Amino acid sequence: MDFTFTEEQVALRDSINRFLMKEAAPELLREISETSGGRSRELHAKIAAQGITGLSVPEAHGGVGLGDIDWTLVTEELGYHAIPDSLVESSYVATALLGSVPEAGALREQWLPRVADGTAHISIEHPANPCVADAHLADLILAIRAGKDGALELHAVSGTGLQRSTQVSIDASRRLAMLPQKLAASTRLLTGAGVQTLADATLDRAALGVAGQLVGLAQRMLDVSVDYVAQRKQFGKPIGSFQAVKHHLADVVTKIEFARPVLYRAALALQRGDRHRAVLISHAKLAAGDAAWTAARKGIQVHGACGYTWEVDLQMYMKRAWVLDAAWGDRGFHKARLGHELLRDGAPLGPAATLQ
Amino acid sequence: MTADYEAFRAEIAAWMQQHLRGEFESIRNCSGLGDAGYDPKLAKRWEQALARGGWVGIGWPKEHGGRALPLAQQVVFHEEYVRAGGPGRLGHIGETLLAPTLMAFGTREQQQRFLPGILAGTEYWAQGYSEPNAGSDLANVQTRARLEGDSWVIDGQKTWTSWAHESDWIFVVARCEPGSQRHKGLVMLLVPLRQAGVAIRPIRQITGDSEFNEVFFDGARTAGSLHLGAPGEGWKVAMALLGFERGVSTLGQQAGFEREMACLIDVARRNGAARDPDMRQRIAQAAATLDALRCNALRVLAQDEAASGGVPVSREAYIAKYVWSNWRRDFGRLAADVLGAAACLPDDDPMAQKLRQVWLFSRSDTIYAGTNEIQLNLIAERALGMPR
Repeated sequence: MDFTFTEEQVALRDSINRFLMKEAAPELLREISETSGGRSRELHAKIAAQGITGLSVPEAHGGVGLGDIDWTLVTEELGYHAIPDSLVESSYVATALLGSVPEAGALREQWLPRVADGTAHISIEHPANPCVADAHLADLILAIRAGKDGALELHAVSGTGLQRSTQVSIDASRRLAMLPQKLAASTRLLTGAGVQTLADATLDRAALGVAGQLVGLAQRMLDVSVDYVAQRKQFGKPIGSFQAVKHHLADVVTKIEFARPVLYRAALALQRGDRHRAVLISHAKLAAGDAAWTAARKGIQVHGACGYTWEVDLQMYMKRAWVLDAAWGDRGFHKARLGHELLRDGAPLGPAATLQ
Repeated sequence: MTADYEAFRAEIAAWMQQHLRGEFESIRNCSGLGDAGYDPKLAKRWEQALARGGWVGIGWPKEHGGRALPLAQQVVFHEEYVRAGGPGRLGHIGETLLAPTLMAFGTREQQQRFLPGILAGTEYWAQGYSEPNAGSDLANVQTRARLEGDSWVIDGQKTWTSWAHESDWIFVVARCEPGSQRHKGLVMLLVPLRQAGVAIRPIRQITGDSEFNEVFFDGARTAGSLHLGAPGEGWKVAMALLGFERGVSTLGQQAGFEREMACLIDVARRNGAARDPDMRQRIAQAAATLDALRCNALRVLAQDEAASGGVPVSREAYIAKYVWSNWRRDFGRLAADVLGAAACLPDDDPMAQKLRQVWLFSRSDTIYAGTNEIQLNLIAERALGMPR
């Protein structure tokens, strides 16, 4: 397996990083999160103008047609800059979901060009996430839920006139809502065994998107912590000169660098459609979640009481990390998937076999 | 530990049941000012109800108006208080930190002036230790105090001051000898908070609430007689007060942890987390460590009681804060994992609400009252005698 990225992939990541550094500074995000809708049309339009909203949209529909590996670098950047995750759900996960449903041709024609140019937003309801991220601004909601007989169905619900009950999250940047318990039969797009396959693929792709964001968030928490301990003085010197403080942040970088290769390998597996992709994605989400929790725990520790305040940016990154870690399958779910795969009868084990 | 206090236990339970009702129903199970709906005015009336019931200062000597109850009975009180849903105490800084320090270092006049207000729940205290540049490095205090006629005049800033906005008085560590360094030349002053020379600005926490504050002193005044201990020996007094922080006041906290543990197990059983083998192991481990914590707290307190003060702090006392704070921080993580995707959402279920609160609040446990790093230094240097 080759872990190097192409020059184009690296250039894309770097340009997105530069763009977000300039246009999505923490002060701006803080301001946006205090508004009632929690979103800025202006920022969204700028992101769309960079082509980020159209990365997965096929060229025929006005996008760039990139895949999972490209997206993984992008989600790291989106996490690093704490851009609300629904961008990933709309432009990556939902776009891929629409692309994989043969019956969704008309919906693709209607919505994908608008996703690409930033004028439409698609949200996803999934059994793993009963609360829908950014449902309040969704033009279209793809809802995967159990029908009368308990089997999963795929609904395509227009946002126009739809009742949504808002849920307040501890993360001010996250806007959640529940859809009505009953959806009209006319919104049903697909039934049958195929929906389960779609649901699994959607969960895998979304969990990978979350894992990328968690790695980015961990990196950001590490960076702000390294900056802080170089500036903050106690006992007459920067606290970063004390071993106890150094070791905390050395532990964080260790976690991050052990999450990255696992994340990249999972992205490759998903893009190639490898047989073990689901379990590799679970591993990636667990490793990324572990890195992010560690970065939050050590980050707040080295920030001292300042890290427990609203004013210091660290809290925005910590809260996003905590809530994302529980989204698209919590720790228990992904650990169980890993365990079942390793311990099942006939699981391939040993050199060049275990989890490969 | 073997004495039979069943009658005493029943007495407390009955009193709590009789009094924690009516207007106080709304603060049942509240952990403190950070809880939505914990009205400070109500909390103060509750303190006064406790005082009338004889439940404030139960361990204080009789000469100071206390009941001089033995340790075992104090333990029983804290257990029953929490079991009945008694809310977090607003008066504990005065009752468990300042009062013992007043008894040890205060003049007769100071004791007579301040102990009755604490005992009656009519005067509340804040702790003026930390400053922007004196956190872990507490001896780097910059706040200045000078005697002017028959008054102390104070200039400077304190921070992370819990409940200052709801308190009447603050005890302040200040530098009274210009040019003095570190632990020398400090004084502990008792200063009224409600005066023109004091400004209080709340600090917003990650939870969105504000329990602590910045306190600014700009020519603030207090009577020239209101230094606790001799001027110049403020460090000794300040450290003695922190020693009381390790004392009986930990019992209420301990009982609170046990309540949180019960809460977590209840939620885990209801939402299915308790069926997960990994979760079961973590819950069992957390419960076992909590039990060890309780045993250690009781052992330390029993030693203190037997020695009746004046003995050096034992090594098992030094480890207590480090162990409980890390236990609780990890418990908060466990709570978030038990709640799963619901962790970030508000909830009508009071048990889940409680866990969510513990999860966020416990992020600060390894930081306040001496960070992990300071605690480990203390263990290494004082308990093990390693070189500084």
